[in-house]
Amino acid sequence: MKTSKIKLSRILLYAVLIFITLLMLIPFVWMLSASLKLDKDVFTFPIQWIPENPRWQNYKNIWTKIPLAKFILNTTKLTLIVTTLQILTSSFAAYAFAKLQFKNRNLLFLAYVATIAVPWQVYMVPQFMMMRSFGLNDTHLAIIFLQTFSAFGVFMMRQFYQGIPDELCEAARIDGMSEYKIYKRIMLPLSKPALSTLVIFTFVGTWNDFLGPMIYLKTESKKTLQIGLRMFISQYSSEYGLIMAASVISLIPVLIIFIALQKYFVEGIASTGIKG
Amino acid sequence: MKRRICIILVFVLLLTALAGCSNNKGKTTGGSAAPTSGGDNSTNEPITLKWSVWDINSTTYYQPLIDTYEAAHENVKIEMVDLGSADYMTVLATELTGNDSDIDIATIKDIPGYATLVEKNALEPLNSYIKTAGIDVSVYGGITNQIIINDRLYALPFRSDFWVLFYNKEIFDAAGVDYPTNDMTFEQYDELARKVTNTTLGAQGYGAHYHTWRSAVQLFGILDGKNSIVGGNYDFLKPYYELVLKQQEDQVVQDYATLKTSSLHYSGAFAQGNVAMMNMGTWFIPTLIEKIDSGEYTDISKWGLAKYPHAEGVEPGSTLATITSLAVTTASKHKEAAFDFLEFITSSEGAKVIASTGTIPAIKTEAVIESISSMEGFPEDEGSAEALQTANTYLEMPVHVNSSEIETILNTAHDNIMSGNATIEEGIEYMNTEVGKLLQ
Amino acid sequence: MENKNKESKIRQLTDKQKTELAELEATLIGLIDCVQTISVSKEKEKVLSNIAKTQKKIKHIKLGGILSKETKRNLVAYSFIAPNFIGFMVFTLGPIMFAFLLSFMKWDGNNAMDFVGINNFLRLTDDVRFKAAFVNTVVYSLATVPLTLLFALGLAIILNQKVKFRNVFRTASFFPYVASLVAVAAVWNMLFSPANGPVNMLLANLGVAVKNLPKWAADKHFAMLTVILFSVWKSMGYYMVIYLAGLQGISAEMYEAASLDGANSWQKFKSITWPMLQPTTFFVVVILTINCFKVYDQIYMITQGGPGTSTLVLVYHIYDTAFKSWDLGYASAISVVLFLLVLIVTLVQFKGEKKYANS
Repeated sequence: MKTSKIKLSRILLYAVLIFITLLMLIPFVWMLSASLKLDKDVFTFPIQWIPENPRWQNYKNIWTKIPLAKFILNTTKLTLIVTTLQILTSSFAAYAFAKLQFKNRNLLFLAYVATIAVPWQVYMVPQFMMMRSFGLNDTHLAIIFLQTFSAFGVFMMRQFYQGIPDELCEAARIDGMSEYKIYKRIMLPLSKPALSTLVIFTFVGTWNDFLGPMIYLKTESKKTLQIGLRMFISQYSSEYGLIMAASVISLIPVLIIFIALQKYFVEGIASTGIKG
Repeated sequence: MKRRICIILVFVLLLTALAGCSNNKGKTTGGSAAPTSGGDNSTNEPITLKWSVWDINSTTYYQPLIDTYEAAHENVKIEMVDLGSADYMTVLATELTGNDSDIDIATIKDIPGYATLVEKNALEPLNSYIKTAGIDVSVYGGITNQIIINDRLYALPFRSDFWVLFYNKEIFDAAGVDYPTNDMTFEQYDELARKVTNTTLGAQGYGAHYHTWRSAVQLFGILDGKNSIVGGNYDFLKPYYELVLKQQEDQVVQDYATLKTSSLHYSGAFAQGNVAMMNMGTWFIPTLIEKIDSGEYTDISKWGLAKYPHAEGVEPGSTLATITSLAVTTASKHKEAAFDFLEFITSSEGAKVIASTGTIPAIKTEAVIESISSMEGFPEDEGSAEALQTANTYLEMPVHVNSSEIETILNTAHDNIMSGNATIEEGIEYMNTEVGKLLQ
Repeated sequence: MENKNKESKIRQLTDKQKTELAELEATLIGLIDCVQTISVSKEKEKVLSNIAKTQKKIKHIKLGGILSKETKRNLVAYSFIAPNFIGFMVFTLGPIMFAFLLSFMKWDGNNAMDFVGINNFLRLTDDVRFKAAFVNTVVYSLATVPLTLLFALGLAIILNQKVKFRNVFRTASFFPYVASLVAVAAVWNMLFSPANGPVNMLLANLGVAVKNLPKWAADKHFAMLTVILFSVWKSMGYYMVIYLAGLQGISAEMYEAASLDGANSWQKFKSITWPMLQPTTFFVVVILTINCFKVYDQIYMITQGGPGTSTLVLVYHIYDTAFKSWDLGYASAISVVLFLLVLIVTLVQFKGEKKYANS
């Protein structure tokens, strides 16, 4: 009696899980399947999840329709630079905020926290004016500056470092280690999960950023994948197969990095997000 | 609490400091720079001019224009900057804000954007240049009078498109119905659209098609010359909205809501081969010819042009016009050279090059129209060539101090009426009140 | 403690410092002798100031350890912060303050700025679009926050149990969050296409009359719902992960003890899980609310603020005002309102959290 009840609840649990997972993934399956169809077959009903004769042609044509390779190259370049810089500078600053005593510490940190609640759109106009006066309009450098110094990264890393017992640092200090060494030898190795989380967020954020590049990048050869994709969608609105093929391609890098760092992920958020 | 006050004070201090900086900057860049020393084009110093455009890949006349000009001016290099077509004017305005852009020649796509740029002092007044160069603006057939702001002209037109009726001959042939003529009233046009509509599920054919732009429907109302789109009273739009909504209800045209959400491009809609008639600007002609020729459009091959339908008692060939013009930016460091290039494109010489690609230039001589209608791929019947002759043309949006705000209001109302979120009366009421507020 | 430190500090002087100290003291004596012999006032002043300098140096060496330790400590810390903070100051903090300042100005980006006081804020009261945007932003947030919270929590509880393929399920639920917005919004538009989208096809097959099929993004009653559904679908995976992290902080013993007392699942949830997750929930609500007020991209991709103004939100209005009408001062005024909205909600939540923690 009891076991059968447990069994039933198990089955129910799996049913719910599978249902939710399907809900989450159906749009992606649709994307994939539409990317292998002719435009006129995309909306046939009942839905053909697996196209009868897949049109791999779409994946070939997309490269010549728009300079997709160039877009991907630009986006990859920007994303890698931003992610590296963001990880370095924020974990560096976060260490000081979490483990060092110094003048004006709280005031400086408050400046960071205060800006977390300010949407970027609030100050994008003055920021744009400023960037331009530096001569950064239509440069990749503008996007790098825009993305690199986020309050969020510092905030998150600080939360994580606060969770690491102070005794560790103190002991190292007594041994005469310099702060830089402590950061390098003790903190960095310990912060893998948090760093992975930050890498995922920064990578995803930069890879998928839309409005920033739209405002700053004018020359086609400098454009990123997202604006390229959007441009393509507005130009070829009815070429669903091609649009979906381009979309699938744009998802691949994010998927790779996500799966590669996934094992650190929950752990990372666990150690950073909580404990206000 | 004390600490908080301290922090606030620090912020205020910083703010004032910043204010100081920005104010100074504003003053130095605010005024328009004095014209640079002339003779840029007479010296042989190599210069590069940047020209802002949209859709380089699908526009055929940019390169021939540049090639022709560069051949005659060896020291000048023209570099195009593609700002994309979707938000072109927004991006351009962003680009020209702050007067330190490196764009020398700006293509002006629409009037509200033009008015905004002029207000921002981003464009150079051309009157003195025009005088020096001895340009006679009467060749533009009065277009330039419609873009004068404060007695000054800030741009010269190089393209002047107008709206016509594109139709798919195969659908009419299949239905055994006569082609649209160059002299149709709106009633006749509606009747014809209904005749060639096929509502069978799976084999749907639409008698007509209205793109989601406001201009595709609303501006039927100004063709009798009695009403203005910036007048503040929009009651005259009622019959046209009724006509179009009725067509939509009877599935004579595709549903606005669907078009809007799928953001279907008009070229895609017409190219699918199930639309009999579509009102659209003449800019679509070269695209259509080129894409049928290259084999990209497989579902349409025979098409024709007809004049816009007209209200009872109005001369046929009354239609909407849009002008595309060129301006020199105040930020340009080579204003003379930039104007020289602008002058070439807007001259009859440039017009020839533009017309040779099937695009209608601003200088519309008989020869120009002739060269377009005799193009390879242009429909060969009399009617289609005849359709390129216009009677009265009305600007889609006249120059007005509030044109960009009015544009926003009209778009909102149009969107609401067409998607059935507001009745025609409610929509018109909204326009009357909101535009009325502005015009006070 | 302090005294001991000082002494030991002095004793810890290096040999080099000791010789330096001795030299300085000698100079000082020489200078003092010198002063007494000089009569010219200018010269005297010079020597006197020299004396003062030397005394300072001596003091510095004797107590140097302490003073410079603090400065050194600060310098080290600043060196850690500098790379990020300088960039942050220039590219974020500066522009933010500039934006606040701008809200009292009239500026089109080119011509000179004019100070207009609170004029921009007064204009808000008569702005139909602003009112619509404000209401829509609040409605959107009120709907999205609880829905996302509910789904995220439910999913986290399920995925915290020992189920097979747990990681696959987790990844699947998290993936929409990392997927490119442009791409998934395009899919969403296709799925919810009013005429031939699979969602409406399904509804039609379930017996909904064709006339009553919702037009989703093109229908003023459904447009907001379409965007909300999209937002919940896209972001719930992220908050689920945060909840998962919170759940892992609850010890299994508590549940075991509850099981022994014969508590059922619901009781366990009510008396253990929910209270223990309070901090997490608070965190999630704050972040979610802020993100909801910031909504822009989804709206831009799915409805463009339409139909009419039914999905116009604050950030959208800011963008239009700034980059289409070039009314930068007014746009900043709307920004300030948005900021205040976020601030108020956050403060209220903090207060609530404190109250809860104390009770």
